[in-house]
Amino acid sequence: MAAAKTRASSFSRNLSTAAPSLGPGLKCGPNGTVLLSSGIPDLDKILGGGFSLGSLVMVMEDAEAPHHMLLLRNFMAQGLVHGQPLLYASPARDPRGFLGTLPSPAASKDDKSRGPEPDQEKGLRIAWQYKKYFGENQLNFDGQRDGKHEYSNEFNLRNPLERHFFNGQRVDCVSIQDSPDLSILQDRCTTFLSQLPRNDGSISCAGRIAIQSFCSPQCVYSNMEWEMLSFIRSLKNMVRSSNSVAIITFPPSLLSPSFCKRWQHMADTLLSVKAIQDDDKELAQLLTGYQDMIGFLNVHKVARINTQVPVILEATTFSIKLQKRRYLVLECLNQAPVDGSSGNSDGTSGSCSSSSKTGSLDF
Amino acid sequence: MAKSICTALREGALEGELAPALTIKDSIASPFGLQVFDHVLSQLFSSILAGKSPSQGLILVSFSRSPSFYLELLKNKGISVASSDKRIQILDCYNDPLGWKDQLVEISSTVTVFREVKHMDKLFNSIIELGRGLVGGGKIRFSISIDSVDEMLRWASVSSVARLLSNLRSHEQISSIFWLLHSDLHKARVTAVLEYLSSMVASLEPSHQLANGQRGDLENFALIEHNSKNGKFHVRFKKRNGRVRVMSEEVHMEQSGINFTPLSSEGAINQGLVPKVQFNLQLSEKERIDKANVVLPFEHQGDNGKPLQIYDGRRSLVDSKQERAVAVEKEESDSQRGEIIYYRDSDDEMPDSDEDPDDDLDI
Repeated sequence: MAAAKTRASSFSRNLSTAAPSLGPGLKCGPNGTVLLSSGIPDLDKILGGGFSLGSLVMVMEDAEAPHHMLLLRNFMAQGLVHGQPLLYASPARDPRGFLGTLPSPAASKDDKSRGPEPDQEKGLRIAWQYKKYFGENQLNFDGQRDGKHEYSNEFNLRNPLERHFFNGQRVDCVSIQDSPDLSILQDRCTTFLSQLPRNDGSISCAGRIAIQSFCSPQCVYSNMEWEMLSFIRSLKNMVRSSNSVAIITFPPSLLSPSFCKRWQHMADTLLSVKAIQDDDKELAQLLTGYQDMIGFLNVHKVARINTQVPVILEATTFSIKLQKRRYLVLECLNQAPVDGSSGNSDGTSGSCSSSSKTGSLDF
Repeated sequence: MAKSICTALREGALEGELAPALTIKDSIASPFGLQVFDHVLSQLFSSILAGKSPSQGLILVSFSRSPSFYLELLKNKGISVASSDKRIQILDCYNDPLGWKDQLVEISSTVTVFREVKHMDKLFNSIIELGRGLVGGGKIRFSISIDSVDEMLRWASVSSVARLLSNLRSHEQISSIFWLLHSDLHKARVTAVLEYLSSMVASLEPSHQLANGQRGDLENFALIEHNSKNGKFHVRFKKRNGRVRVMSEEVHMEQSGINFTPLSSEGAINQGLVPKVQFNLQLSEKERIDKANVVLPFEHQGDNGKPLQIYDGRRSLVDSKQERAVAVEKEESDSQRGEIIYYRDSDDEMPDSDEDPDDDLDI
């Protein structure tokens, strides 16, 4: 290659397209992945943007609280608002009834108390070399202010979603209670995902699959543990090679421990929800904002697609609160200042992790 | 708090909600489940009769006791069944569950015999039919009590029993439902399934836990006797807002029936959660004495062997230290095996001097 400098090398970069064009509700993520929103802006932030296309999300339910339904509702509503096709399976007799409980997007941004934040950011004087790190954040805020197709919406849990969103052809509902084995659900998933093949080109739309309470005891197949596991594996493979995200919720207390572990390993992103005890004075002393909390969300695993680098979160336990009883927010746990009368403790996190009951709390 | 269970059952389900379901769970260590069941049954039935409940009738599915027992029970409680004929119906799965007998003498008009306990769907239909016959069709509600789910689990699989219970809960005419379970008759998963399906779990525990091998001890007889008549009653409510309310009471068996009293000794359970103080600022007596006896390492030994009299309230500490130092020297010189001969660098140097020998280096 020591010829004249004007001669181009025999290697040339194949720059056919600058970036794939993405449909509504999708954005580019790290490592060449495409992300879609979970419907809960806080959860998107925690997970680094949203759920990656092609990933399998599993949520471990708590038998004592219905918080997984909140996650599912927001997830499904977000997909419908963006016009993304949806497949919903549940053990209820009539799954379509659940669609009536989906929340509608929040009316205006003035409602939320988070409005002032971007303005405050502008007031900050950031040294020039650090602006590159904040650039991404500002992009996010800008993105949220344009047009109808925002990447992620705040959902008002008090208002039901308008019917025209789910009356169309895009929503398919399956009841999994009576099927003797999983073949019906398998077929429906295959048909659904065949509409969303993954090509190297642009992605016009992505699909969402939501399976609720997968190993729920009233389902006939619920004692066929190996069959359920192979279903999950085949679903994961199908989802990986299509433009969709699947979310499965299941109550881990109803599975044998070894299968529970196997299911957890199957997940690309693993979350769990926990109930919170009412009138727990010790917990009230330990945490600020205890009164508003309705439960805890733990992030156990975040999807790693096209990368070997693990995602290490600053915190893995978040409290679920309903802001103004409408909007689902996730907050980091804040330890309350220790009451002086209870002893002269330094209030370090070490002392609090000795609490035996709430051992799963991670400060 | 047994009152709150009865209130919850009495109030029944709101529109569009699953009917509240109670599991009464006991074990061999605290076998009062049947008595608690009778108590709840009579309370619920008297409130139905008094018109305090939206539920207009009660269906009792009796597996483990004869229907005549229940008729007697209600009569003894002062509730006359003859006049309340139109409010209670008993589905008799006790006398001839598998249809072995050709003919059965009819006990009373309130009792219907059911002969096919192996088929849960037929049981479901009979229950609904009986209920409709009692209160009529439409939107009028009735309550259901199931004597013991253990018997059902003998005949049918866990998933079919779970399906029956969840279908009953979601039926629009059912106001509330409760059942009894002996938890040690089943695997843990079965108990977990039934707890998953219920909105309130009431468990009976012995007031004193006995270790297994201790039955022969005289002292333990008293405990065993106490356990045979008393116990602890714990209830976990799954509230609508997703929180769990935990309550406890004491339960006493008496001739007249069962009595619930609030817990006498509190607080033992609750200590575990308060963050443990890392520094204990109070000294016990022994600790104070020991502290006084500690020899601090860097105290001045005195010049020329004479003890420095620093009075700080400790008794003859300096003397004993001096004696020890002398004794150590003697030992060293007497030892046959080896001698450590140490020549001080400079005799003016005080032992344990704070001076740094490197101070005179000029760098």
